[in-house]
Amino acid sequence: MKKRFCFLLAMILCVSLLAGCSGGAGGSGELVLYTWEGMFPQEVLDGFTEETGIAVNYANFDYDETMLAKLEAAEGGDYDLVIADDYIIETVIQQGLAQKLDTGKLENWGCVNPLYQGQFFDPGDEYTVPYGAGVQTIVYDPTAVGAGIEGYGDLWDPALAGNVGLIANYRVINGMALKVLGESYNVEDTAVIRAAGEKLLELAPNVRLIKDDNLQDDLLSGEVGAAVLYTSQATVAMAANPDLEMVFPKEGIGFGIMAQFIPQNAPNPEAAYQFMDYILRPEVSAQCYEFLGYYCTNKDAEALLPESVRPYLTLPDSFSKDDMEMIGNISAQAMEEHQKVWTEFKAACE
Amino acid sequence: MGKPKRKTAGAGALAALPLYVFALVFVLGPLIYMVALSFMTRAEAWGVVPEATLKNYADIFQPVYLETFWESIKLAVVSTLLVIAIGYPFGYFMAKLTAKWKKRTMLLLMIPFWTSSLIRLYGWIIIFRAGGVFDSCLMALHITEEPLKMLYTYPAVVVGMAYALAPFMIFAVYSSAEKLDFSLVEAARDLGATPWQAFRTVSFKLTLPGLLSGVVLTFVPSMGLFFIADILGGNKVVLVGNLIQEQLMKAHNWPFAAALSVALLALTTLILFLYRKLSGASDLEGLV
Repeated sequence: MKKRFCFLLAMILCVSLLAGCSGGAGGSGELVLYTWEGMFPQEVLDGFTEETGIAVNYANFDYDETMLAKLEAAEGGDYDLVIADDYIIETVIQQGLAQKLDTGKLENWGCVNPLYQGQFFDPGDEYTVPYGAGVQTIVYDPTAVGAGIEGYGDLWDPALAGNVGLIANYRVINGMALKVLGESYNVEDTAVIRAAGEKLLELAPNVRLIKDDNLQDDLLSGEVGAAVLYTSQATVAMAANPDLEMVFPKEGIGFGIMAQFIPQNAPNPEAAYQFMDYILRPEVSAQCYEFLGYYCTNKDAEALLPESVRPYLTLPDSFSKDDMEMIGNISAQAMEEHQKVWTEFKAACE
Repeated sequence: MGKPKRKTAGAGALAALPLYVFALVFVLGPLIYMVALSFMTRAEAWGVVPEATLKNYADIFQPVYLETFWESIKLAVVSTLLVIAIGYPFGYFMAKLTAKWKKRTMLLLMIPFWTSSLIRLYGWIIIFRAGGVFDSCLMALHITEEPLKMLYTYPAVVVGMAYALAPFMIFAVYSSAEKLDFSLVEAARDLGATPWQAFRTVSFKLTLPGLLSGVVLTFVPSMGLFFIADILGGNKVVLVGNLIQEQLMKAHNWPFAAALSVALLALTTLILFLYRKLSGASDLEGLV
């Protein structure tokens, strides 16, 4: 009996090995897509494979920094298409790890919203195609904390003691204090960063938690009454509870853009072009952004977004490029000061 | 006599070869890399430049970073005390159980390890969150009227730490207590010692090595369990582990992360050294 079981087990193992082989070799090529988890709805990925016969191998990273380290180790190879944050892409380009795009190969290149182009990380739009953008939004529950939060400054209100949640991005949170002081997110002067740190310490008694993952859950479950959220989190929160209030801080809006690029030595760049063009199609794009919950960077897709989510995924018409400030790379010295301020702030929160 | 003995020693050395290779490649190699990195200079945007500097070590002495070391030690002490309070009696009485119940208890202790520690921590979130299991129980018993908001507090972190580390203490004390000859306790009782005296002078003394190795096995890892402070403490308790992770993943300052790691390593080595001095043992009781 035991022997037969072992034989069966061995058979199963052999079969699964064979299955593994055929899976790898099948199709007319493979696209190795490298980005965060959950960036595309499965239908979109399946639709691409169905249309082109190219299998999508979806590889994940947790932080942008992990991506850059791996890309560096692979000398710009291994991956065909990467989607990451603006600031890291600037470094990727500086390190010579991205290749220039031939936009002639992208039929739908014209669909990209110019608002998100020509930014600091790729001023000539030579390397990247945007895929979603985010702003830092304050979302609060008026039944828990009353109405009237209009900007970052209002989070300092003592009435919010122990009731505020923050995302764990030090440039964004320190930047909040910088904004309250009327400074730029990208200020280099360490004395100014220090002053923002002092200001931030006054916020500490109001802070209940700092975290990056699923902060919206703590707002929805009533753990906190107000939170500074990433756009995708704000979208989820608003969809789950429309009674929440979403605020674009009056001090100014910090922007982040996610973009796609092809690594310098991508094994299958043609597949990457096909994929980029496919997701630039307005109807596919609309599907993606509805799923993703970030701002739609495809202007032809905006009209195709369902009414229920369009207000959260598109910017008002009145919005211009001058209203946004991107969080860019700063000097090592300024970053170290930010780190110090940030560590002091976290330790001061009880 | 001499010849076969030497032969076995040679075979033993050969058999241990993979171990040496493993230690060289995966322990010593990375360690040298880390120490070397800690003396380098960070590059402006990304990576490091090979310029020797002591700045990374000097930076550790800034008050804000010294504070994280102090905070880590404090939390480690508090967690270890709680783990002793839970683990010592548990391990001690577990050794007194019948063989059948010993096995069952052991199994019950092991089962949680079949699940990822991260997932088990998320379980604590469900217990601690506002209106969660903990709050509901307290409110149902009319001990509190309002939700306590235990989640994202210091006590929540301590509980999480104790939960993660208690099994190590239990096993260490258990293995020590199992070797304890209870006839010695009986002898002490026959000679007129009270139960407390017998415990203090005989049982406790004989299980002390287990307790001490349990302390080492609890204290040392608790300096590095940064994700517990993240998940249950809402990122407000900054430990050395959190700081290293942040420097590595977000601040792009690998040399400083390496210097912090070397400092942490030095601290834990010191603790192990003190343990050896204190206990006179050359290894960890029952576990090495």
